[in-house]
Parts: sequence; structure tokens; C-alpha cells
Amino acid sequence: MASKGPVEGPSIGFDFSNYARNQYLGQTMGGLPKATSTGTTIVGMKFGGGDSGEEEGIVLGADTRATAGSIVADKNCEKIHYLTPNMRCCGAGTAADTEFVTNLISSNLELHALSQGKPARVVTAMTMLKQYLFRYQGHVGAYLVLGGVDSTGAHLFAVQAHGSTDKLPYMTLGSGSLAAMAMFESSFKQNMKREEAIALVARAIRAGVFNDLGSGSNVDVAVITKAGTEMLRNYEMPNERGVKSRNYKFRRGTTAWTKEDVRNLLVSEEVAVTAGAGKLQDTTEASQGMEVDA
Amino acid sequence: MAVQFDGGVVIGADSRTTTGAYIANRVTDKLTHIHDRIYCCRSGSAADTQAVADAVHQHCQVYTAVYGGPPPVATVAAMFEKLCYENKDQLTAGIIVAGWDEEGGGVFNIPVGGGIFQQPWAIGGSGSTYVYGYCDATYKEGWNEAETVEFVRNTLALAMSRDGSSGGTIRMCVITKDKVERHFVPGNKLPRFWEGKEVLAQAPKPSIAVA
Amino acid sequence: MALFAPPPMYADPTMAADKQHAFNPYSENGGSILAIAGADFTVIAGDTRQSEGYSIQTRYARKVWQLTDRCVIATNGFAADGNNFVKRIKQRLEWYEHAHQKQMSIKAIARLTQTMLYGNRFFPYFAYVILGGIDEDGTGAVYSFDPIGSYEREACRAAGAAQSLIQPFLDNQIYFRNQTPAPGAEPFVPGRLPLSTVLGLVIDSFTSATEREIAVGDGLELYVVMKKGRTTDDLVGSDNLIKNMQVQELGALGEGGSERTFLVSLPLKRD
Repeated sequence: MASKGPVEGPSIGFDFSNYARNQYLGQTMGGLPKATSTGTTIVGMKFGGGDSGEEEGIVLGADTRATAGSIVADKNCEKIHYLTPNMRCCGAGTAADTEFVTNLISSNLELHALSQGKPARVVTAMTMLKQYLFRYQGHVGAYLVLGGVDSTGAHLFAVQAHGSTDKLPYMTLGSGSLAAMAMFESSFKQNMKREEAIALVARAIRAGVFNDLGSGSNVDVAVITKAGTEMLRNYEMPNERGVKSRNYKFRRGTTAWTKEDVRNLLVSEEVAVTAGAGKLQDTTEASQGMEVDA
Repeated sequence: MAVQFDGGVVIGADSRTTTGAYIANRVTDKLTHIHDRIYCCRSGSAADTQAVADAVHQHCQVYTAVYGGPPPVATVAAMFEKLCYENKDQLTAGIIVAGWDEEGGGVFNIPVGGGIFQQPWAIGGSGSTYVYGYCDATYKEGWNEAETVEFVRNTLALAMSRDGSSGGTIRMCVITKDKVERHFVPGNKLPRFWEGKEVLAQAPKPSIAVA
Repeated sequence: MALFAPPPMYADPTMAADKQHAFNPYSENGGSILAIAGADFTVIAGDTRQSEGYSIQTRYARKVWQLTDRCVIATNGFAADGNNFVKRIKQRLEWYEHAHQKQMSIKAIARLTQTMLYGNRFFPYFAYVILGGIDEDGTGAVYSFDPIGSYEREACRAAGAAQSLIQPFLDNQIYFRNQTPAPGAEPFVPGRLPLSTVLGLVIDSFTSATEREIAVGDGLELYVVMKKGRTTDDLVGSDNLIKNMQVQELGALGEGGSERTFLVSLPLKRD
């Protein structure tokens, strides 16, 4: 799609030029390729404040399984994405979309902070995300739990792919959200202590990991307070692989071949200087310099 | 729903947001701030109504900066209607705009697809069809604030008890010249009406005890 | 005989409900099964997870069942159909035993299985079936079936959710595909591996499938059917036990035959 605007340059946004071809291919072959989806459990909750004696903060949690259909595509992926030093975003839905949209908004938040001379607020990130996602009418499949601490306190939002947002003290998203929500609905209390909150978030993720097939492997946790963010990558690892009972090293020469051809990729050449400044130099030295040690 | 009374309006809504059969949010605040004395009640697609409300919120800030005073409720309702009508093929948004201006309380209904209808009371959303009869039979002109709040609370509780897509708690807002006052009714304090008889308690006890 | 067969049930317009709300009598319950034949034993295994979509229905559901002293069956696909098929085949085997005063051979059970599956040609049991056991010569045997009764005797077979992960591994390790013998060494012959090797391959197949296939996990049940008179030291010897592995001998069902069947259980990952 060539840009026809007043300013010539690369076109902005998505490139749809392969759309018609891909629709045709999708019909004639067995469907379009599947995008990696993070069949996921992601959660977030507020803690501290009130009479807990601790300052307000956010705990985010995520499992680490990425799936393509019923196959595990990545056993230890990162679903807690960086936005700013005091904001993080958990992503569920289409892996590429959550990765791209959080990267994009992270960049824009940095520019925003630079132009305003102060850190961006969590509502600003939320508004940028919802306006971007609404524009694409749900085709950008990012379901996000956004958490952070700013000058106005600790905030937690859910952002759906169609662009709607919710503000809640605790929330869960993804295919394991029902299992995780069961933990929050039975155990959440206002103004919990930091350690209690981390334990509850980890328990909610574990509920997803063990009861939802789309979620699995490890528990990632992020704790955000005014002081900054503590990323607890692989906070729990309840699913490490056991040792294999056999050894599958093959004898050298197991794989058959039909032809052997060894080529020397190194080239050496003789350079004879015929004109210019080089002619004054010692030619043997010049040719040595060009020679590659074989 | 929103109901006008002498000197202001009362708006109210349940707090349930669903995705299919799952309750995504059981304490939603569907009473959305548009300007100092103007709120709206949203129904339909959450994404669409939030986007429209955010856009009108911005228009109102520009209006205030340009004209040096708050926009009339009718003007704000017209902004909503314009967005909803011109983008009707892309939106599922049923909105009730209500608030106070120099003319007093005002209630404007903007159903899905557009159109603007000023009414003394308006109800909308999936639960509203269950309570049109109740509203027609009950509403009287000349109520004071307390009577109007009572009417809104009862209407919403009745709708929530019949409609599976509505429920949770009741949030209300009283908007007058002097105040914007919020009311909250928790799920276990909702007004209750006739709920049928306990059939099993009435049934004769079995004469032989089961070991 | 009629010139035309009656139309299959689903082709009858009066039976087929409105296309939009058509009732689907089948579901897919995940899991995987696997059988490997040895010279004088057969190993037949299945995981114990039963699932639908992203939900686990149960962490323990049997997929492998002992039929006779020398035959074990495993089913995969739609669990209700699989269970029902096993129930009916057991009934047919009981009738056979009453009529002939002996247990049916695995070869005959295989043909019976074909007949029963094909009998539902136009409303099939949605079940992939594998039979494993010892044949009349005392050799390990594996028979595998598709849902409408096509079958074949093989040295090994994997079926179910992780078939595409396990079968290529078996082709390489059992049939020695893509492996060249060392110069001067004997050529590879499938079906001659020792029991300890086969057990290791089966266990590794399932622990690996559990890593990458979400519908496989929770537990593994592995049946070993041994030829009469064969040593059991390579199975029940204490140094052969893998961590958390339990071995139990299943008593004889019939009389006369002295083939022995063992059940090996071991936990798999639960995520």
C-alpha cells in the first residue's frame, strides 16, 4: 500500500497487502496458520494501605506456558511485560499482540514522561492501551492486567481486547481465570500485607497451572511499590522435569549420507599494485596484508 | 435508569458486567462522570460505551474552555446522539444522559442506533424490559428526592431479580444544583418483594423416618 | 438383499436437526495410549488424564484394561465410547469362554474387534483401539485399529493426543528408522529389545509427551504381559524400580495358561 498523503514516506500501521492472497491460501489449504496464544492464567491484586501499616502496592502474577493449539510452544515464557519502572502489564490472548502492544505503549509512555517532565500515571497507560485496542475492534487480541504505582497511589486495571476497562482491587484474566478467581473470591481481604498478597497471588496462579490445561509450568510474580518494581521471575517452580530413564546419545556416524563434499571457504589472493599511493609501498607487505591466514 | 425530580435527577444502575455466562466484574460502576453535574448510564458493549463516553467527556472539557461555562444537559445528550447515530453500524451503545443545568434536572434517552428522547424517567439495558410495567404503574410527578431514590432502588432491584444479565449491587447518584451524592446498596441489602412460597416446608412430613 | 442399503442415520433429513443447533454426540477426551511388542512380552500403556477442552474431567480414568490372561486392550478418543466398547467386548469374551471352555486368543479378539467396530460403520464408536498381548506362539503381539475397524499387526503403535509426538520417536527407537548400524555390526531387527529398554522408552515417551502436549499427564498405567515361563526378574527386581514406580501382579483370569500380567503405575506431571 503506497502512501498517497501529502508527505511521501513509509506507510503507517499494519500492512494488508497480503490479505487477499492469504484468504485464498486459507481456503485452498487447510486454514490459516495458528498464532501462538497464551492460554493463560494472569492475576493482579492491590495490597497494603489502610491500617495494614504498609504502603500501598500491587502484586501481579502469571504462569509461564505458551500454547499453539494443544501443543506447548514455550514452557517458560515471560507474560509480565515491562511498561515503565513503576508499571507492569500481564498479557493473555495472542502472544504477538500482547508483546507488541505493551512494547508500543511502553515507548509512548517514555516519550510522554520526557515531554511532561514527570513519570506517566497508570490511568495514562490504561487510556493509551484502551484507545489503541478499541481502534482495532478486538482484532488485536490482547487481554491485559495493568498494575502500577504513581503519584496518585496504587492502581490496577483490566483491559479487554475490544477496549473496555475495569478498575478492581483484584482480578484474573485468561483461560485459567476462573480457577484463579476462586482463590481470590474465597481469600481476598482489603489491606493485606505484602507477604500475604504474594502468597495469595502465587496460590491463584497455581490454581490455574494445575486445573487449567492452557496454563502450566512456573509462577512469575512482580511486586510494585512506590520504591520500584521487584520482578520475582520463576518465583515458584512446581513442575520441573524429572530425569529421563534412558540416554539418547547416538553413535557418531548414525546418520547416513549420500555425498561428502568439503569446501574451503577461505580465499587467499595476490594483490599487485599498479597505480596510486600504494605503488610507493613495499608490494610484498601489501599482499601479505590482504592474505587471509588459511 | 434515570428519573427527574424537582431540582435534579437520580440515576442508578446495577453493577454486573458479563462476558457470556461469566461475570467479569460484579462491582462495576456504570454511572459515568461526563461533567461536573452531568452523568450517563451505559448499556450494551462496554468497550463501545466507554469509548463514546470518553469522547463526549473530552468534548465537554473543550466546550467549557471555549464557552466559559458548563454545557447544558441537552447539548451533551446531542453530542452522544451524534456519535451514536453517525457510527451506528459499528456501535452497540444504549445510553441515558442525565444531569442538572440552569433548566433544572434533565433526562435524555439515546437508544441503540441513535435518536434522542427527553423523558421524565428512562430505563435501558437488558433488564429494563422486565420493569416497564412497574415504572408506568408507579411513577408520579412531583416526587421529592427521597421518594425518587426509593423508586429507582425498587425498580433496579426488580429488574435485577428477573434478568440474569443484571445483578450484584445498586449504585445511585443524586445530582442537584448543590451536590452530586452517591448511594450504594450492597447485594445483601437489596429491597425484596414477593418471592414465592417455600414449597418443601409446606409438604407433609414423611411418616416413616429414613434410617 | 436389497438393492440399496438404508441411508445412514445422519443422512436422514428427519433425524438431522436444524444444522445450527445440531446435537453432537461425540467429544474428544485427550490422553494417549501406546503399545510395544517384545520377543516374549508386550508392554501396553496409557496416561490417566481425561479432559475436555481446557478442563480436566478427572486425573484418574482408566484407558487400559485386562481382557484375558494374554490380552490387554487400550482405547483412546471419546471416553464414553471407549468404555462402552470395552464393556461389550468383555461380554462377548465371557460368552466365548462359556461356550468353548477356554479364553479367546489375541488373534481372534482382534478379528472380533474389527467386526464390532465395523458393525457401527455409519455411527462409529469414536475410539482408537490397541490390543496388546501374547499370541498362540508365545510371541509379543500388538494390533491397532481405526474407529471403523481397519486393523493391522505391528511391533509398536502410539495413538491419541500425543500420537504425533510419540510415533516418530518409536519409529526411530523401535524400527531404527534413520539409524545406520556401526560398520561390521549386525543389522537392526525390530521387536527384539529387552524389557528394561522397552520400559524405559515407554516411560520416556509419556514424560516427554506430558511436557509438550497439554492433554497428557497426571498418571501412567503400564501393563506388561509375559510369555509363560519367562523370567520376571527384569521387572520386579528392586534395582529396576524407577522412583515412585509401583509394580503389582494381576491374578490369572482363566485357568491353564501361565502367562503373567503385571501393572506398573507411576505419577506424571499434573500441570
